[in-house]
Amino acid sequence: MRLRWARSREANPSQPAREWLGCDDAGNPIARVIHLDGPISTDRGVVRAVPLDREAKLVRLLPRPQAGGDWLAVIGGRVVGRAGAPLAAVRRAEAALAG
Amino acid sequence: MSGTSLDLIRNIGITAHIDAGKTTTTERILYYTGVSHRIGEVHDGNTTTDYMDQERERGITITSAAVTCEWKGHRINIIDTPGHIDFNIEVNRSLRVLDGAIFIIEGVAGVQPQSETNWRLADRYNVPRIIFINKLDRTGADFFRAFNTLKEKLDIVALPLQLPIGIEDGFVGVVDLIEMKAIIWEGGELGAKYHDEEIPADLLAQAKEYRQNLLDNALAVDDAAMEEYFDKGDVSVETLKRCIKIGTISGAFRPVLCGTAFKNKGVQPLLDAVLDFLPSPVDVPGIAVAAEEGEEESETEERRRIKADPSAPFAGLAFKIINDKYGTLTFVRVYSGTLKSGDTVLNTTKGHKERIGRMFQMHADKRAEIKEVHAGDIAAFVGLKDTGTGDTLAAAEDPVVLERMAFPVPVIDISVEPKTKEGVEKMTLGLQKLAGEDPSLRLRTDQETGQTILSGMGELHLEIIIDRLKREYGVDANIGAPQVAYRETISKPHTETYTHKKQSGGSGQYAEVKVEFEPLERNEGIVFENKVVGGAVPREYIPAVEKGIRVQADTGVLAGFPTVDFKYTLVDGKYHDVDSSALAFEIAAKACFREGMKKAGPIILEPIMDVEVTTPQDHVGDVVGDLNRRRGMIQNQESSGSTVIVRAHVPLKEMFGYISQLRSMTKGRASFTMQFHHYDPVPRNIADEIMARSA
Repeated sequence: MRLRWARSREANPSQPAREWLGCDDAGNPIARVIHLDGPISTDRGVVRAVPLDREAKLVRLLPRPQAGGDWLAVIGGRVVGRAGAPLAAVRRAEAALAG
Repeated sequence: MSGTSLDLIRNIGITAHIDAGKTTTTERILYYTGVSHRIGEVHDGNTTTDYMDQERERGITITSAAVTCEWKGHRINIIDTPGHIDFNIEVNRSLRVLDGAIFIIEGVAGVQPQSETNWRLADRYNVPRIIFINKLDRTGADFFRAFNTLKEKLDIVALPLQLPIGIEDGFVGVVDLIEMKAIIWEGGELGAKYHDEEIPADLLAQAKEYRQNLLDNALAVDDAAMEEYFDKGDVSVETLKRCIKIGTISGAFRPVLCGTAFKNKGVQPLLDAVLDFLPSPVDVPGIAVAAEEGEEESETEERRRIKADPSAPFAGLAFKIINDKYGTLTFVRVYSGTLKSGDTVLNTTKGHKERIGRMFQMHADKRAEIKEVHAGDIAAFVGLKDTGTGDTLAAAEDPVVLERMAFPVPVIDISVEPKTKEGVEKMTLGLQKLAGEDPSLRLRTDQETGQTILSGMGELHLEIIIDRLKREYGVDANIGAPQVAYRETISKPHTETYTHKKQSGGSGQYAEVKVEFEPLERNEGIVFENKVVGGAVPREYIPAVEKGIRVQADTGVLAGFPTVDFKYTLVDGKYHDVDSSALAFEIAAKACFREGMKKAGPIILEPIMDVEVTTPQDHVGDVVGDLNRRRGMIQNQESSGSTVIVRAHVPLKEMFGYISQLRSMTKGRASFTMQFHHYDPVPRNIADEIMARSA
């Protein structure tokens, strides 16, 4: 299933977008690909932060992923794939929607 | 130098492990760009950039050589660098002044030790680079295996822009993943003739997969390109090239091309890639000015940068000195401004004026006189009196000092003395000139024996220097056996007080110093601090104390080797109104060092080498056993086809003559490389031997 992808509004204009939104033909956002920022050093070691909401008010800390897994494909709050680049994550999201 | 617009200039280096094909590639570049009308070969000793007699006789590059060529309306200044670790200073200084580099990787062995070392150097200077996997015609060549070593050994995102068509004898061309076409070389006219055609059917699926990977990584650097892709399902060639250039300059990924320079395939697309993906002088952030005293390394990013601008005040960096029959040539990278013959500039590193005599554009050992140079140029100046490698030349109205260069530590010493008395003066002059050219060569006089000691990067380095001394300066010299460049240091803090008193009629000498000695980490050098309060040692005598200990540190207390990595703090002292002098304080400081060091746990350090042995599988046991006998610590072992690569840290002392032993153990089938890794304390029994020998 092909979606219309657009830069997220949270993107920093001086850097490549860290989040892309995939919308259906009616313009409803149904998928996201998100860059895992970090790593972050915590008392539990070095972790990556996964935002659980659009503003990243809720964050889940995960162990540092394998290299090449910095982009998450997310549908409805569920991670459906990981990739090293946003385009590859977009393909994972679209493949998951296609079932 | 010319009216070439800055965006049409590329200043690049070609670097790799020894024998990976740097000079061979450079030779093809000069031929295809019309600079040469024939292709020279390393094995024939007739290449353009290996112009020294020693280079032609030995078939290796010893000194970096600058050449200039034109390709599709652009001017490319190229520096071909040596691959042997003994001449690493040439790579170091070249990378320091270049805007981009081609890293050549051997298609059989993949990333080799010197490639790794040079890669880290390029990281240090933030040099954008493209990778060329060469020698795909060789038996055992494997593009994908060589490609995988990029990730494994360099830990980078390597991005193929091409795939090979055929391999070994069957290598005929490449798949261009940007334009999705095949480029086939036709075999004649030394590779000058090639044509485009459809991608062979059996490679199409693989090519599509790799192109998708290229798009995934390249477009991620530019949102507009992503949007173009989402709109159209693909991007234009221009967009893709723009993204690859952005990613190459930022280091987000490293583009990979392939071919075989020796068989004349793949070089023209490599030249195209230099224009398309490596930066011009205006595409890079500019060189940073040097740190102020006490400034933290973390503040580097905040420092002022000199942008390439021909109308700004002049700023340039001297990065290479050559002495020949016409005088001293100083190679300068011009970062900003414009300079004409006869102008005067400041050497801001040393604080004096220099008048520019004649200026030349260099083509290996040939020169073409030019009347002016502009930002972005590399040129050689004649007439500079006292400008050394790493010095900044700048306009008086903006006397900036650019970041200096870091030079490697010499690890091998030899003593050298002329065979005749008449040779003494000539030898001193010759060695001083050679040391002026080569910052990795150090020259000192042994205080006890009076011998001249040359310190260099390896046996080959010193052999070449002695050969040059003979050929260029006519000095026949007796050479001592190579010796390890040991160092001394201390292992615990100690405070020493020493009083120098001499009163035997007439004016006397009196000075007392109290100095704290403490060990520092490796490579921190020698640090001095003055903590004297209340004028216990008058201010004018403090430099004498600092100098006394620095001078004495050249002769360590255990075996006379230079003492390094310690801090000394002058904490107290006494003086006499009449009998004290700078000389008295210097003498007191020297004696204080000699006494204090003995009580501060002195130890001897030896250079430890990173050794990589490539051996056939059936000799691994012999090689490892032998390295263990040489006090080696095996770091790892990995198989690559039928060969095994053994990596170990081995004291340099144990590596003299290793090549003969290795050849005899493996019937000549193994080879090795080594480079300096770190200094470590020597074991007690070896220290005793060294001390006994020096006594």
